Amino acid sequence: MINPAVALLSVLLVSLATVLIAVNGLRLSRTTGDFYVASRTVKPWWNASAIGGEYLSAASFLGIAGLIVVSGQDGLWFPIGYTAGYLMLLLFVAAPLRRSRAYTIPDFAQIRLGSMKLRRLTSFLVVVICWLYIVPQLHGAALTLGISTGLPGWLGSLLVMGVVCLTVLAGGMRSITFVQAFQYWLKLAALAIPAVFLLLHLGLAGESATLGGAVFDRAADPAANQGLYYNISLLVALLFGTLGLPHVLVRFYTNPDGPSARKTTAIVLGLLALFYLFPTVLGILGRAYTPELATSGNADATVLLLPGRIVGGTAGDALTAIIIGGAFAAFLSTSSGLVVSLAGTISQDLFRGTVRGFRISTLIATAVPLLLAMGTSSLALAGAIGSVFAFTAATICPLLLLGIWWRGLTVAGAISGMVTGAVACATSLILAAALPNEAQSFHALLAQPAGWCVPLAFLVMFFVSLATRRRAPVRIDEVMARLHVPEPQAGPLP
Amino acid sequence: MSETGAAAPGPRGAPGPRQGPAPDGTLPAPSGARVRVSAPAGTMLNIVRRSAPDAADTFYVHSLIRSQLRLAASVALGFLLLLVGLAVMVFTWPQINDIRLATIPLPWWILGVGVYPLIMLCAFLFNRAAARNEAKYRSIAKK
Repeated sequence: MINPAVALLSVLLVSLATVLIAVNGLRLSRTTGDFYVASRTVKPWWNASAIGGEYLSAASFLGIAGLIVVSGQDGLWFPIGYTAGYLMLLLFVAAPLRRSRAYTIPDFAQIRLGSMKLRRLTSFLVVVICWLYIVPQLHGAALTLGISTGLPGWLGSLLVMGVVCLTVLAGGMRSITFVQAFQYWLKLAALAIPAVFLLLHLGLAGESATLGGAVFDRAADPAANQGLYYNISLLVALLFGTLGLPHVLVRFYTNPDGPSARKTTAIVLGLLALFYLFPTVLGILGRAYTPELATSGNADATVLLLPGRIVGGTAGDALTAIIIGGAFAAFLSTSSGLVVSLAGTISQDLFRGTVRGFRISTLIATAVPLLLAMGTSSLALAGAIGSVFAFTAATICPLLLLGIWWRGLTVAGAISGMVTGAVACATSLILAAALPNEAQSFHALLAQPAGWCVPLAFLVMFFVSLATRRRAPVRIDEVMARLHVPEPQAGPLP
Repeated sequence: MSETGAAAPGPRGAPGPRQGPAPDGTLPAPSGARVRVSAPAGTMLNIVRRSAPDAADTFYVHSLIRSQLRLAASVALGFLLLLVGLAVMVFTWPQINDIRLATIPLPWWILGVGVYPLIMLCAFLFNRAAARNEAKYRSIAKK
């Protein structure tokens, strides 16, 4: 079993380091004269690491290995979707969005279509998405703390939200690209070191890490094998959901121009691909050495329990401590990214952007998901995040894609498309949770709604825009030019 | 989040006035303090008014957008077809799992490892082609 004292020490160490760096970051950011100039000096490599640090959440760190233990080969589609989602971001959104000079998705909506009504709807959706995205992070924290120390899980959620609230309130998240960047490498190391060590250990002991290939034979639980529709619909959700993640988008502003936004995104792809090798390896090891987790409902703990199971002793404790530290880094970095986007959005639309308003918004932004997390029981992490991606893909993604590439989009079209997508997707997910999973194919339509919700939202947005063509925004040529015309190349940027 | 975390109004000053869409149809600046913290409003957030966006200009921009969209869509379509093809192949031909490399079945190699270099190749090729489209636009628009 895991040594509780070592685990607790690791958790506290990571939390303390985050607070300290954030507070010091605050001091640094005060001396930086102009934020805007500073942002232009962020190199694509740093920026890419920071995006990776923010993007790799509990679902990636714990969820993927757990999913592979439960459903085997089907689990491999998750990391593919997360990574390929970034490819879609690069292809359709990265450079134009950077050039739009929007900081947030509501900003983009307002720049593109100039409607306050649309802006408010977008803000509302962003808030919902952020809350839903934070909740699984807190479930992950609860699970990690519960499994590793035996303390009640809600303490883990409380700790994460407390640290996040503290750092964001201090304003410390402002100029700490390097903290997020550091978190990426910490997370990578926290999975890579144990994975390599465990493989070496098994190799030296002469054991086969795959039990001679037996682990690949069938999913542990036949019901966990999803059909073709399920996998394709999941891919749609992950591919197009990434486009609209609020905390990812806001980072693009740190790129000096369109081409560097593209370069950054390409590097992020490399970093994600590198990272996802390790959850996969650990998942395969989990199928061999912790197979009972597949049916216990605690599969997300695979990564945490493996070192103790395979190595044991002091070495096992040390490896587990590394993994727990990385897991908390994942919860903290993703949650703080989300809370900052969330507090910014709430304070702008509710409190007219005052400092006091931002502080109050931060409290709201952390309290609501904390209550939600404590009031609900933990689902499989990867699945819960998959649902959030489906919701994003059915609402924000059509707005961004049609807004960037199609001149004909109108306010009425955008609003009706997003409302349709949101209502259809939410209803379907709620029904899926309420109805028993009997008729497999039918239930998959509800549980994984992206496959039909996303095309539906696009179609509604398209046809309503056509029908209201006369009310197209006046300055469409200027807006489109702003999104797509490359920056002048002459001389160094100011 | 950091830099752009300045999206949040900082303690450095009072937030700017909230700007709604102007009645004359000019683009609204994204509202509030966010704007002010990162750049002097006005220079950054309003569309650069070119003296007279003539027909030729508009045409060049249109063709730039079209070529970028065509490029992005074809890369995306190719990649998506390949992914769906893989999903269908694994689903309809389960015997592929009997082909093993170091005890690991072929689909695991493809889905767990092989897809990623492909994604990066797509990204690399797209970046080069997109930059080429922009260079072409620049050379035409300058004339």
